[in-house]
Amino acid sequence: MHAELRPELRPELRRVSPIWYLMVLVAAIAVGVGLYCYSVQLARGDIATGLRNPGNGGAAWGFYIVFYVYFVGVSFAGITVASLARVFHIDTLKPVTRLAELLTIVALGVGAMMVLADLGRPLDGLLKLPALARPSSPFYGTFTLVVSGYLFSSLVFFVLAGRYDAAAMAQTGPPLLRPLYRLWGAGFRDDDVAHTRHWRSSFVLAMTIMPLLIVAHSTLGFIFGIQAGRPGWFSALQAPAFVVMAGVSGTGALIVLAAIVRRLFRLEDRIPIAALRWLGNFLWVLAAVYLYFMIVEELTSTYAAPRADRRIAHEVVGGSFAISFWLTVGSLGLAFLIPFVMYLRRLTSVAWLVVAALLANVAAVLKRLLIVVPSQTHGGHLQLREGLYTPTWVEIGVVLGAAGLLVLGILLFGRIFPLVPTPVPEARRHAAVPREPLRVLATVTCALIAAGLIAFGLSDSFRMWSGDELDPRVPFSPAIFATGVILLFSSAIVYETFPARRRRATPRRVIRPPRARIHRVDVRAQLRSSRDPRVRRKS
Amino acid sequence: MSAKDPNRRDLLRVLGASVGAGVGATAGLAASAGEAAAAPARTRRWGMVIDLDRCTLCSSCTVACKQENNVPVVGPDDEHVGAQIEWLSILWQEPEQPGGLPQGMPFPCQHCADAPCVKVCPVGATYKNDEGITMQIWDRCIGCRYCMVACPYGRRSFNWETPRWDGTQIQMLNPDVATRTGGVVEKCTFCYQRVRRVRERAALEGREIEDEEVRRLPACAAACPAEAIVFGDLADPESRVSELARDPRRFQLLDYLGTDPSVIYLKRDRR
Repeated sequence: MHAELRPELRPELRRVSPIWYLMVLVAAIAVGVGLYCYSVQLARGDIATGLRNPGNGGAAWGFYIVFYVYFVGVSFAGITVASLARVFHIDTLKPVTRLAELLTIVALGVGAMMVLADLGRPLDGLLKLPALARPSSPFYGTFTLVVSGYLFSSLVFFVLAGRYDAAAMAQTGPPLLRPLYRLWGAGFRDDDVAHTRHWRSSFVLAMTIMPLLIVAHSTLGFIFGIQAGRPGWFSALQAPAFVVMAGVSGTGALIVLAAIVRRLFRLEDRIPIAALRWLGNFLWVLAAVYLYFMIVEELTSTYAAPRADRRIAHEVVGGSFAISFWLTVGSLGLAFLIPFVMYLRRLTSVAWLVVAALLANVAAVLKRLLIVVPSQTHGGHLQLREGLYTPTWVEIGVVLGAAGLLVLGILLFGRIFPLVPTPVPEARRHAAVPREPLRVLATVTCALIAAGLIAFGLSDSFRMWSGDELDPRVPFSPAIFATGVILLFSSAIVYETFPARRRRATPRRVIRPPRARIHRVDVRAQLRSSRDPRVRRKS
Repeated sequence: MSAKDPNRRDLLRVLGASVGAGVGATAGLAASAGEAAAAPARTRRWGMVIDLDRCTLCSSCTVACKQENNVPVVGPDDEHVGAQIEWLSILWQEPEQPGGLPQGMPFPCQHCADAPCVKVCPVGATYKNDEGITMQIWDRCIGCRYCMVACPYGRRSFNWETPRWDGTQIQMLNPDVATRTGGVVEKCTFCYQRVRRVRERAALEGREIEDEEVRRLPACAAACPAEAIVFGDLADPESRVSELARDPRRFQLLDYLGTDPSVIYLKRDRR
């Protein structure tokens, strides 16, 4: 395998820079701090956080929800970049696709943890959300679509794209990890047909993931956008703005990640500057769109808005949130300007790009804080008590731990698997694929079962058959829906890993060695009877 | 709730039919009570009228509410600022003229007909029951606090820590109301335990609920010395509460949000 590849392109695990060890140490310490802080929160109750009742001047949602939205937003870039690269054949982006997918998966996992950190009763949440979740709550889309559909589709995309390298690493990788590679690359045959099949299935996946992505990020926006009772939240702009802000922060995070990984894993030759330049261009376009959204938002909420909306807008722009607001505007402006100037002048500086990308992420966190908090502390239609929200060290620690986990996950994965996919030559992706009705049948059957589960799980989640009862007719209907979504994406795995039909031209006949049988032979008796020809010959 | 009732009725019927003469008297009574409840029940909509002209802002309603519903009292220290659990409090407002008398209104859950909190609850821990009350199943709540941010009135409180009932406090708890644990949201239920008691008594006696017996049913209404709070069935045009709700002074809080609260205020007319 890979005999035809130039040696520098073969999948391998390179020696890491010493900074890797330092970063792993720091990330591990952060995870430890996070675990300690969460244990404090579990022991003392949510009083350990800075959150309080909104009617009493507090904010019921704070850092956890902000960073939940942020981490899920970061995951946006990964799968978008991978899908864009596939759908529009952007070969420049190919080297960062695996990094991007990895970022998506780890960030989504960490985002889900932020929800658990936020729940007053996390174990009850883990049990009751799959059992009872109702689609009328925007959380339903978040829990089922984002966590199952989005996470799993990214996982499928990631696993299928990695099979080529996994199969190669099973032969050349570190012996200790070979069982893992063998499992990942199971059934992969390095022939043009397999590459063509993957090329096709990844197209379908990419085309499916992109609308799912819009839906998933919109449900995050709807959590806020459809609440008429909270001035500042109730806006049709929330859903599209969440999608775009997810793009800004995610592209930024991917730029930072790619720049760090290039150095840490000595991949400067494999991740070209061109890929970073492409991401930089993507960043300024998205940042410009978001700046436009912010102008529209501010104009609408100050011009002739209802009293409560206007008060929030004033509070944000010139009141107690002014510092955060202007920091957001400044960071986002620079995140637009730096890559834009580079684009105009046709320059690329990785360092400046990383600065812009980091600023984009600062803006993303602050902007989410500005969405989530002021509408609770200052956002009453009634003259309720106003207050302030300051996160406690417990919340900061838990968020740090989550960020540490994100970094740790990526750093450790880089040590066991090549972070840059081995390029497949264009010619190998367009072979004639033999007709295999069984493979198609298996794939379609899997997809149909999935569609059935989706239809059933969703309608029962809507309580369509349970009248005015609170429970779905079949327990765990939301989980059935999520399973359906997962199975739907799994049909791509079925398509690619279905055992290939053996060619008739070269039938492989299994030649079994004859089984050794133990006979107890009485030699003297045989000699006596001497009917045995062998005995006769000997004698 | 309603879907479960027929089963219970069937069970009672079976019990009534099968049990012999000795026990038959009580079982039969229970069965007939079940029959009475099975009679085509009017859809009720419990509601409340609060006459601000009568209200003296004495706050006895808020104390009575805490007593009746085992609402925990949290400490006064800095950490607990904003962690108070309030089912009913006084919504203080700016006086009309500078230097004027303080103004305010008793402020329970508004029991909106179209309740934003019910829509957003991901697990159905809060729901509208068939009597128009926005209920909360404490044990089903996962503590995501979405209902709190969705409620335009801020009438939902979170248990930021598990309440402690020290010493003799535990003997003061009302056995009719479950205490809540840390990590769940709680709210006013219009003293549903009292409503249920009245309904069961009426069913046992084989009659409809009288308007007189519910007018001062919730703890807040019972405690109000000025009789400013009147409770009753808004769906019954004859009830006292419906009569008051037709008063020209009526208003609903934030009616422009379209939540259609079941708590109706009568404007203060006194100068």
